[in-house]
Order: sequence, then C-alpha cells, then structure tokens
Amino acid sequence: MSTNCRRRLIRDFKRLSTDPPGGISGSPCPDNIMLWNAVIFGPADTPFEDGTFKLLLTFDESYPNKPPTVKFLSRMFHPNVYANGELCLDILQNRWSPTYDVAAILTSIQSLLHDPNPNSPANAEAAQLYRENMKEYVRRVRATVEESWLDPEEQQAINEAESEDAEPGASG
Amino acid sequence: MKVHVKNWHAIAQWRWDTGAADADDDGEGDVCGICRVPYEGCCPSCKMPGDDCPLIWGECSHVFHMHCLLQWIGTSSSKQQCPMDRRPWVTAERKVDRTNNAR
Repeated sequence: MSTNCRRRLIRDFKRLSTDPPGGISGSPCPDNIMLWNAVIFGPADTPFEDGTFKLLLTFDESYPNKPPTVKFLSRMFHPNVYANGELCLDILQNRWSPTYDVAAILTSIQSLLHDPNPNSPANAEAAQLYRENMKEYVRRVRATVEESWLDPEEQQAINEAESEDAEPGASG
Repeated sequence: MKVHVKNWHAIAQWRWDTGAADADDDGEGDVCGICRVPYEGCCPSCKMPGDDCPLIWGECSHVFHMHCLLQWIGTSSSKQQCPMDRRPWVTAERKVDRTNNAR
C-alpha cells in the first residue's frame, strides 16, 4: 500500500511538523493520507490579517509529478480565488515542479494573499475593487476574515438562516 | 604480548560524489529534490541503493535520482525542464574533480 506518492507525503508531513514555516499548518486526514487539511493564517499588515483560512488538498498517485488539487473551504474574497474556493495560481498549474512540497504550496498561497495577481482574475469583482476601490476591497476581505473564525457548523447555520430570511422576503 | 585476532568485521561507507562543495549533513543539500530521499538512499521505486539506482547530473549542476528525474522528464508538464531552475534539462557527463571541489 506504500506507494511513491504516499512515501513522499509522509516526508512532506515530517518536514512540515519539524520545521514549520510561519503562519501555515497542515496535516493529512487520519484515515487518508491523500487528503490534507490545512490552515493559512492571514499575513500581518494585509487585509487578511488574523484570518484562519481553511483549505483542502487532494493528492493523487501522480504526486509529486503532478500538483494536488487545492481548494479553500473558508469563503474567500480575493482576485485569484473562484467562488467555489478553487484558486488560480501558476505553480499549481503550468509552473508546477516536483521539487515543491506541501510547505512550499502553502507558503505560495500565503504570499498570494497579500500579493494578488489582478491580471488573471478568478473573482472579477474582487479584482476590480482591488484596483479601483481599496477601501471597499478591504471591507469585503475583513468580512471573510471574521467568517473564517467560525466552525464549519456555525458557518453553515448562518448560511441557512440567511437563506430562510431571504425566501419570505423575496415574495413579500 | 601476543594478540590473536579471533574475528573482525569490516565496515565501509560510501557516498555519491555530487560535486557539492560540502556534502556534509546540512539538511536540504543531500537529498533528491524530487523524492526527498538522501542521494545515498534509493528512489521510491527501487529497493537497493547504489549502482541500481544511480544519480543523474544536469549541466545546470542539479542532481537527482536518475529514476525520479526521468519520470518527471517523461511527463508533458515537465516541458523537459530541470525541476529546480526550469532550464532545458541537459544531462551532463559526470565531472570527476576530486582535487578542486570548490564551487
């Protein structure tokens, strides 16, 4: 059962636990090493400061010759993150290298937070506000920072309450 | 005094000459960048280190387990580039330069 990919992931985990880069954490699911949960702490002196943004990394057997699929579980407002949490980052697509590990991936995403690339927008509204209305951009990002502190269950309860509120309001 | 040697164990140690200035245990330097296993170990597909799982040197000076590098170069996404510096991969003749490793 111990494949090349799994051995490499065990090494990635060892490196991440013995020499963790600041502001990131990650670990494989207890019953599935191909599935990792990670948290990126919003970098200081950016609108994302204090946020605890959760991510899911899905590896397949071709890792590290292919990158994992990376998705934010926390709601994000960022020029390079799609509404479904997937992100637009060159090293996870056409500039992948097998020398990257989980620590390198998470550090790159962390630096993408404070250094968005408005030229390849995944969220057009966020990209526009980032360019033209920084005050409103920061306000929208701060809202996601506060949401990021909630448990997934709490977040879901809020979403459901909001959609219940919205339905009668729409007809009345 | 007379000493009789009853038995003895010979122990030898080997290491690849990667050409690095200092190949001591300084962490990152002596592992294959792709599988992260020490050069003296073998790639994840092999069971025995040594000549069966050799290293490969690039003209860019980067070194990998040959099997790890060939697997990467075989993928279309590699664009035949060195995983470290993205320069076109050119396999180098191993430079044996025992007298001057100062690089």
